[in-house]
Amino acid sequence: MKVIYLLIPLGLGLLALSVWAYFWAVRSGQFDDLDSPGVQILLDDDRAPPPAPPDSRDA
Amino acid sequence: MEPGLSASRCFHCGSPLTAAAAFAVRLDGTDHPVCCAGCEAAARLILSQGLGRFYEFRELSGEPVAGGTHNWAAFDREAALRRYTHECAGGERELSLQIEGLHCAACAWLIETSLAREAGVRQIQVNASTARAELRFDPRASALSRLLARIHALGFVPRPLSFAGGAAEGTAERRTALKRLGVAGLGMMQVTTYAVSLYAGLMQGIAPDLEQFLRFVSLLVATPVVLYSAQPFFISAWRSLRARRPGMDVPVALSIGAAYLWSVVSTLRGRGAVYFDSVVMFTFFLLLGRYLEMSLRHRAGWQHDALARLLPDSTLRLGGAAAERVTPDELRAGDRVRVLPGERVPADGRIECGSTDADESLLTGESAPRVRRTGDELTAGTLNLTGVIEMKVTRTGQDSTLAAVSRLLERARGSRPAVADLADRVAAYFVTCVLLLAAGVGLYWLHADPTRAFGTVLAVLVVTCPCALSLATPAALAAATTRLARAGVLVTRGRALERLSRADRILFDKTGTLTRGEPRLEGVLMLEPRLTAQQCLSLAAALESHSGHPLARAFKHLTPLAGVSGIECFAGRGLEGVIEGTRYRIGRREFVLEGCARGAAGTADDPGHTSVVLGDTAGILAEFHLTDVLRSDARDTIQRLAALGLSAAIASGDRSGPVAAAARQLGNVAASANLTADGKLALVRALRSEGHRLVMVGDGVNDAPVLAAADVSVAIAAGTELAKVNADLILLGEGLAPLVCAVETSRRLLRIIRENLAWAVLYNLTAVPLAASGLIEPWMAALGMSGSSLLVVLNAMRLLDRGAGRSAAQPSPRPEVAHA
Repeated sequence: MKVIYLLIPLGLGLLALSVWAYFWAVRSGQFDDLDSPGVQILLDDDRAPPPAPPDSRDA
Repeated sequence: MEPGLSASRCFHCGSPLTAAAAFAVRLDGTDHPVCCAGCEAAARLILSQGLGRFYEFRELSGEPVAGGTHNWAAFDREAALRRYTHECAGGERELSLQIEGLHCAACAWLIETSLAREAGVRQIQVNASTARAELRFDPRASALSRLLARIHALGFVPRPLSFAGGAAEGTAERRTALKRLGVAGLGMMQVTTYAVSLYAGLMQGIAPDLEQFLRFVSLLVATPVVLYSAQPFFISAWRSLRARRPGMDVPVALSIGAAYLWSVVSTLRGRGAVYFDSVVMFTFFLLLGRYLEMSLRHRAGWQHDALARLLPDSTLRLGGAAAERVTPDELRAGDRVRVLPGERVPADGRIECGSTDADESLLTGESAPRVRRTGDELTAGTLNLTGVIEMKVTRTGQDSTLAAVSRLLERARGSRPAVADLADRVAAYFVTCVLLLAAGVGLYWLHADPTRAFGTVLAVLVVTCPCALSLATPAALAAATTRLARAGVLVTRGRALERLSRADRILFDKTGTLTRGEPRLEGVLMLEPRLTAQQCLSLAAALESHSGHPLARAFKHLTPLAGVSGIECFAGRGLEGVIEGTRYRIGRREFVLEGCARGAAGTADDPGHTSVVLGDTAGILAEFHLTDVLRSDARDTIQRLAALGLSAAIASGDRSGPVAAAARQLGNVAASANLTADGKLALVRALRSEGHRLVMVGDGVNDAPVLAAADVSVAIAAGTELAKVNADLILLGEGLAPLVCAVETSRRLLRIIRENLAWAVLYNLTAVPLAASGLIEPWMAALGMSGSSLLVVLNAMRLLDRGAGRSAAQPSPRPEVAHA
């Protein structure tokens, strides 16, 4: 059972890592809006916008 | 693309197309019709930026596209920039916007993508669930007004929020709670693993150094959970003790704190029991309950700024030499402002010159406009419909009527029902009893068996934890709220559902509640054989297309004649115009008769109708009968409510004729007409003093005291903004049918709360004696407590799915417009 003295500290390291990652996720707003990002991946496409006609630039 | 949508509905906003519409946009080689020039411009702009996919993924709300006149230039002034934005590094500025008309993720994407392409925009983030945007821009590269105008051009109305809004606070609170919950959850997973090994070791034998190692590791993981995650319990317990009113958190803090300290001492000494697993599990489940409750609270406060939205973006202030556009915040008493037709009044004031039809429906809930002349008072938020007026500002900001109304509403929201206070008092006694019991048990065991004293006291404290008891109600409420939100009902005060389940009377306002608040043409009475009914309708439509009067909406769907000239509006009476050389008048009978050579015969006003008369210089040509149409599901809803034991009645400020007609159509419900706000209030009080439990359904702030006096208040979102703030329940859609679902859900909710409470009480009654007699170890107590909470939550979840497939009311067929 000597290996447990290695495995548990390893597990603690992973725990610290996941707490850090979780805090980062909360702080950067990953949990603020759980609805829209799921749809946004469908919407975003990499096509460049066509050059805007001059009349739509004012407003 | 939604099939069938393109044929009869506007491609951009989804509202029904009128025959006369000649606007279209082109996408993927097909022409799609749109309803108006505003929609055409918005759709063109979206397509020209290559963002056409918006139309594939957005969810149509049926709301018309944002219109109206907006002048954003006022936001470029230094004073406004200071008020609405704050400066960050490098001269960039940051602000929050509330975005009206935003209702799905595709809308949020559209705004983000389009704005990100603008020069000067550093960062834009739109949150679809709160309809809020955070914008960071460089004022040297682009004026704020240009960015606001761009959002408006996409078909939304941006409302800059003055800095110091409560939104950031809510987000911060939520994020902190999530972090605490996450730490407790991750900690719990680890500590319970170690605990299982330790318990296994107790039974099978374990090497002493390994046991000590596991205990130290448990201590290491449990420490941040107690010091960070459990912090709110300690703070709240300390506060309630200082106020000499021990709350539910006192035994919680005591058991967490004592068990942790005891375990630390045991670990350091190398002997004695450790309770790290119980501590961490306890903390996690309590935090989970708190988190659910907090989400519920935040959702309720979602529509908080409805009031601020009543004020215009900017207004024209008349100075000594030149007029300038300023934001309403900058007005001071004594300033003079000019309000153009279609604009909202920016502050309370008195008209100095001009007269107009004023639409005060946002404040009073009555859709009919009132004539306001020189010397009359106007309140902020009133919509100026027809004339140009100049007014002197008398009250602004915190002194204004709007602010006073808002304060009243705030107070109503803050006041807690008597039941809540009772629960608090009972809690204080309960907690004192628990502490005394624990002390008694401790004393007994110190004498009987000192080694087991601490474990037994801890077990008592944990077992009596009111966790299941305190989760019983909020968990069920959260489930019911979610269920109702799916059905189109927003619950702003959870306690209202409890009262709704016991209601036996339901009182409806008429205008805008039972009816749609939009007049419809019922019939035409021809008084002149020279013209056909069709010609008269075209003439009327041509004239009324120049009017902002709500009655004019009845003619909106007709094809108007072209070539109207010399239009002149007479506030509150009608309008006059020249078509093909003939001068016509449309409006009130007296007004039309004044304009013609001879008086013509006409029928007396039909009591069930409102009449509009068309005439030329020779005499009256035709009389149009208008009625405010009942909502299509009103009759069905009232019948289904009756089946549930709620008898309906109408309380209206309208004249008795239309009210009686509506009552007849709805199946002879009781009706009271000609009621002022005080009259409605008296009626509500009388019904309540007779012992009835009353639901009031209304739409305006005129009703606000009436709504507040009822046991449960319901507002229709399609009605007014202000009522939203003050109602217990808000119907989000156009129909009344969700009311039935609300009543059914509230009754199921009450049943489930009763089951939950019964279970929690039963659990405590059996567990406390067992714990006090030393039969339960602290870990069993923590497990039993968690299992009990889980059972309560799962029971509450049943509210979500049962009966979810219940269909809405069937729309009844609408009668066609009669042409005499």
